[in-house]
Amino acid sequence: MPEKPIPENDPIVSKSLAPHYVISMVILMATLFWALWDEDFGQRPWKAFQHEWKDRYSTFLKNARTQSRESQKEIEGSADYQKLKQDYEAASQNAAPRIKEINEKLHDLGAKILAVQNVFTDRRAYVNASTYDIETETSPSAKQRKQRNLDEYKKEPSTVEMPDGKKQTFKSFDELEETYNDLKNERTQLSAELGELIKPVNEKKELMDSYLTDHMVNLTPSQLTNLQNGVEALTPKIRQINVSEHNADIVREDSSNIVDRCESCHMGIREPVNLTATSMALKGKKPDEYARAFTSHPERDLLKIHDPDKFGCSPCHQGNGRATTSVEKAHGTYEHWLWPIFPRGNFEAGCQICHAADIVLVSNDVGWALSEGKDLFRQRGCMGCHRYEGYDKEPEDLLSIGQEIKLLEQQKKDNLKQATDFMQQADKAESNDEANRLNDRAVALKVTNSKLDLRIVQLDRTTKSLLQDLKKVGPNLKDVRLKLNRNWIPVWLKKPTDFRATTKMPNFRLNDEQIKAISAYIWQSGLKDSLPKHKPGNAAHGKELVESRGCLACHSLGEGGQLQGGTFAANLTRVGEKANYDYLVRWVHNARERTRPFCPYEKKDIGPEDYKKKGLPFVYDLDHSKCPNDGHELQVQNMTVMPSLRLSIPDAEDIASYLITLKKMEPSAYTDASFMDDPNLKDEGKKWIRNFGCAGCHEISGLEDEGRIGTELTAEGSKPVERLDFALLTEVAQRGGHEPITDAEDLARLPEGPAKEPWYDHKGFFEHKLAEPNIWDKGKIKPEIEKLRMPNLHLTKEQIRSLTTFLLGSQENPLPPNFQYRPLDYRRDIQEGWWVVKKYNCMGCHQLIPGQKTILMGMARYQEAQEQLPPKLLTEGARVDPEWMLRFLKNPALNDKDTNRNGVRSYLQVRMPTFSFSENELGKLVRFFQALSRQPFPYIPEEVPMLTAKETEMARSLFSSTAAPCLKCHATGDPAHDRVATAPNFLQARGRLKPDWMERWMIDPQAISPGTSMPSGLFRRENNHWVFSGPIPSSFQGYDKDHTRLLVDYILQLTAEEQRRVAAAMGRARAAADSPSFGGSNGTGKAGRAGIK
Amino acid sequence: MDWKQLWQILSAPDNIPIVAMIPLLAFYIFLAWRQAHANDVLIEQLAGDPALAKTHHRKAWPFKPGWQKEVHVWPFLLRVEFLAAIIVTIILMVWSITLNAPLEEPANPNLTMNPAKVPWYFLGLQEMLVYFDPWIAGVVMPTLIIIGLMVIPYIDTNPLGCGYYTWKQRKFAIGTFLFGFIILWVSMIFIGTFIRGPGWQWFWPGQTWDHNRLIYEVNRDLPDIFGITSNWAKGVFGAIVVGGYFTLGGLAVNAFFRRHNAKDFKRMSLLQYSIMMTFFLTMVALPIKMGLRLLFHIKYVWITPWFNV
Repeated sequence: MPEKPIPENDPIVSKSLAPHYVISMVILMATLFWALWDEDFGQRPWKAFQHEWKDRYSTFLKNARTQSRESQKEIEGSADYQKLKQDYEAASQNAAPRIKEINEKLHDLGAKILAVQNVFTDRRAYVNASTYDIETETSPSAKQRKQRNLDEYKKEPSTVEMPDGKKQTFKSFDELEETYNDLKNERTQLSAELGELIKPVNEKKELMDSYLTDHMVNLTPSQLTNLQNGVEALTPKIRQINVSEHNADIVREDSSNIVDRCESCHMGIREPVNLTATSMALKGKKPDEYARAFTSHPERDLLKIHDPDKFGCSPCHQGNGRATTSVEKAHGTYEHWLWPIFPRGNFEAGCQICHAADIVLVSNDVGWALSEGKDLFRQRGCMGCHRYEGYDKEPEDLLSIGQEIKLLEQQKKDNLKQATDFMQQADKAESNDEANRLNDRAVALKVTNSKLDLRIVQLDRTTKSLLQDLKKVGPNLKDVRLKLNRNWIPVWLKKPTDFRATTKMPNFRLNDEQIKAISAYIWQSGLKDSLPKHKPGNAAHGKELVESRGCLACHSLGEGGQLQGGTFAANLTRVGEKANYDYLVRWVHNARERTRPFCPYEKKDIGPEDYKKKGLPFVYDLDHSKCPNDGHELQVQNMTVMPSLRLSIPDAEDIASYLITLKKMEPSAYTDASFMDDPNLKDEGKKWIRNFGCAGCHEISGLEDEGRIGTELTAEGSKPVERLDFALLTEVAQRGGHEPITDAEDLARLPEGPAKEPWYDHKGFFEHKLAEPNIWDKGKIKPEIEKLRMPNLHLTKEQIRSLTTFLLGSQENPLPPNFQYRPLDYRRDIQEGWWVVKKYNCMGCHQLIPGQKTILMGMARYQEAQEQLPPKLLTEGARVDPEWMLRFLKNPALNDKDTNRNGVRSYLQVRMPTFSFSENELGKLVRFFQALSRQPFPYIPEEVPMLTAKETEMARSLFSSTAAPCLKCHATGDPAHDRVATAPNFLQARGRLKPDWMERWMIDPQAISPGTSMPSGLFRRENNHWVFSGPIPSSFQGYDKDHTRLLVDYILQLTAEEQRRVAAAMGRARAAADSPSFGGSNGTGKAGRAGIK
Repeated sequence: MDWKQLWQILSAPDNIPIVAMIPLLAFYIFLAWRQAHANDVLIEQLAGDPALAKTHHRKAWPFKPGWQKEVHVWPFLLRVEFLAAIIVTIILMVWSITLNAPLEEPANPNLTMNPAKVPWYFLGLQEMLVYFDPWIAGVVMPTLIIIGLMVIPYIDTNPLGCGYYTWKQRKFAIGTFLFGFIILWVSMIFIGTFIRGPGWQWFWPGQTWDHNRLIYEVNRDLPDIFGITSNWAKGVFGAIVVGGYFTLGGLAVNAFFRRHNAKDFKRMSLLQYSIMMTFFLTMVALPIKMGLRLLFHIKYVWITPWFNV
């Protein structure tokens, strides 16, 4: 440029670029080193974890070893151990001299063999090579010559320098070979002898060691040392689980997704010691990132069932099992990984992925969030609106069976027509053969038809079962006119929780017009039949019945802190404000009794007029369930799970009289709602009922076939997050920092509190939706009919967490099919049975899992009277005959006429109700209990041997022994005695109990039913037999069999007469002894109150 | 202003090349322009002094005794190139250490991402799809671009301005390049990266990319505005308009060439001239079409059953 001075020298030629090069090269080298560092450490943060692990775990083991040494010393000091030690020492001393001798000999021999071997192998190699040469030589003369050479070679003598320095000369190769073999044989013999000598010593040593391991709470010092050696030898490397390598069932391409390197950082997961974050923290510091990563798996039992080598980690926890570059990547908590690790509060979601078919995950599952979520989904009626595979299957099954029946009927018709055709052709046939052939085909078709008939009959039975199994979460709204105070309905619809805080009915956010219209439709579509009138009963007695018969296992009384009873069914505190007395009586007496049966075929409620037309009486129950118009199965029961307690009508009246007194205000005080009779509102009402899907939970006239209005949730957890409509809150959720829920009550429902972090994920969606279901309408301008319909289920934080867990795990399974838990053996019966057990709230009264608390157990009434609790069913399948159980479940009174009683335990006030199980559910329940106790199915009863007169006499003396007077607690059928009896009558044992179980029960009832009042320790073990612990009657002299077995056989052969005789004899004996009153305390004290349950 | 959104777009690993490209382009254009200007001054000086021109120098400096007239490639060129190679290597290494390949989740055929964008170097083509039908934008135009680039040496009859930067000697060629590359191609990539959000809607920089955004925008075809309904008439009308554009445009360019670029015009044969004219008018058609579409909501001008323009 002209302004710039022109340089003297040409800059292109003269200018040096050296500084530029130096700087660039330095930067380039720095970059290179950076790249190398990044390759080795930057991209491999797990190495840092492994170095840290080495230090910390090693320190931990050192500390553990010190402690372990102390406890080892303690155990070593025990007499048992000392004895074992002495044994060991004695044995080793005995064997020591000979062992020493043999060892010396072996040592010498070894040296000799080595010396001979050196020469021998050299010569043998030459011999072998020459032999081969001769074998392959073709010219006979050369062969002979070579053979001669070899023979000469063999004859040459050889000298061996023996270990003692002497030189030994062997005359020929053969002699050398022989010596060598002899020496080797000798060594083998000596080794065998040594093994024999050492074996008993080693066995003793093993006994000693295993005693130590068995009695140490933690690992022994030597085990810890082994672990430490392992840790110290550790070199950083990826620890990887290739699922297909360890699980032959999985085809490679199936498992291509499962390569888990999680243990590259989580090194402590499978260590045999218990590592916590605190124990892995640096001394005096809080647990850091490393300490938290190094803990051992908190649920070791789960790991035992799900061996990580076979299952990997990510199938349960999700996350990116392959990633190792950062914590975030490995846990999959970044935008592009579709299966992020399940959050801390919802980790159980992983179980649902494979255990979708279970409602109770594992048989000892108590208090799992996931199970709670699964229960809630059913109990709160979620499946009324949302389809979910496995839930509420009956309507779908009914539909498909109906179609199958139609198909079969059509097939029958076609067959019949074709058969007629064949017959006609046969008539015109040219030859006899032809006619016979056609006739045969016609006959075959008719036989086929009869088979089809049988199939249809089968399907009809299934239909009946299904109709019986079909339940709705809410009550039947066809009965509103009979049941309810009309003026109460609009108040209830406004906000159900205002009337009853714990109700299942959610809040629908209805406006006044909607309430008016909906209540008008429900009222006007209700049945207008009338109910039989009942006289008022005794409310005080009713109260007693409610509290004692077990109503509170499902229902609750009292509000807020006063609440007593179960939450499975409605809270009855204000039932008097809404219900009609006559309806309550009928409901309490038998809740399943319907006002009119419903014909699913005609879609109408069948009334007396339909029956009259056919000249039939207006009778419908499970035995009269055919429609008079078309012969199809009718719905003859209310679709409620509420069972019949088999109460008498007067008892039902008493209870109803009590319930009607439960109110806070007078029913007459409700504002008049006569608008409900306005016919103009009806259509509007139907529109809204349909819109809100009321028919999902309630039976409503004219809407019996309404489909579900919600989205299917079976795979909701794997829906792409883009398909979850956050509406105007999308950006808010993505950025976080602002909580859109403003309502204080709803805000309190959020499990994690108001959102601070971004919550644009499934968890955030589910939690917000459940806390405030119309949240996504926020800011939207929509007509009423398009607004979000999901009602507010007024859930608690924990409930929302459970449901979220359940939904997060509801995924289209990304795992190979054999990961799914769909067993085909007894475990399937367990799986299916739990659905029934949970459906009817069996666990409100019965304990099925050790440690599970029933509702009744928690009630004050039973704290002092444990024996009045319903029996525990921990080993029910092993206890009773399945045939008997079937009979019992059908009719727990075990009596067709006198049903107002308990069939087995007449002494219990709480009543086993009649659930009207269908054949289908009966079968499932019986199989469930058998499977739970691992009983073979079908059950083949054991043959009970007939006792001889002598044996009977002996057994009787045991049975009536004063040390264990069986009949003192067990009922006998004598009303005076049974009033105070606390255990079942022995006469029921036959046909009911399994002999093996009875024997085990007598020996240790506490092990079977913890807390039972049946005394333990009645028998003791002597000479490999069970003998009576009390004074043994003299007749037992020389009897060498189990006393328990004898007693069991006796009880199984007991007759009423025999029992009376024994009881009478016992009564006399006692009267003669001391206490005149029957049932007072006796020698066995409190524990003497027996109870075979 | 939604700074967060803006930052997200600017910092996405995918967009780094484009963010870098904008200042780099500006810098290099400035550099080229500076050199060109210096050369142009020198050229003027030499043109006014034929004696000096005889010994005229390779550099933007006047003749200086002792300076070599020509220098060797080795080492004088290669040492600079090698330095550049080192620097580029450093940049690439740092880049690849610090930024991983922007991989995303496995493709889900049931769920299309929104906005779905091609790699940055294809964004111009994708943007073109807004203005033409896929046949034109996806097949015809790219082919024309490639052929157009290929014919440049054959239609370039200007012997001046080779091997050094100049503006005055190659006004038409450089102008066309700046227009075609910077204005058309780069700005379309810019639009595709920073302006097009969900639903391929137009978002100004700093406007939130809201997936729920609804806009009222009705596009019409040019024949519709004139009330033409029959398909035949539409075809004929479109052909007339497009033909008219090429005719009138051709005449205008012709007039321009005669007046302002007479030397080139004279050097070109009829074939060369008409090829140049066709490509030039096609190129200019693109911004015209963009303007019609963006400002007047005109979708197509020429509608036929086979293609739309």
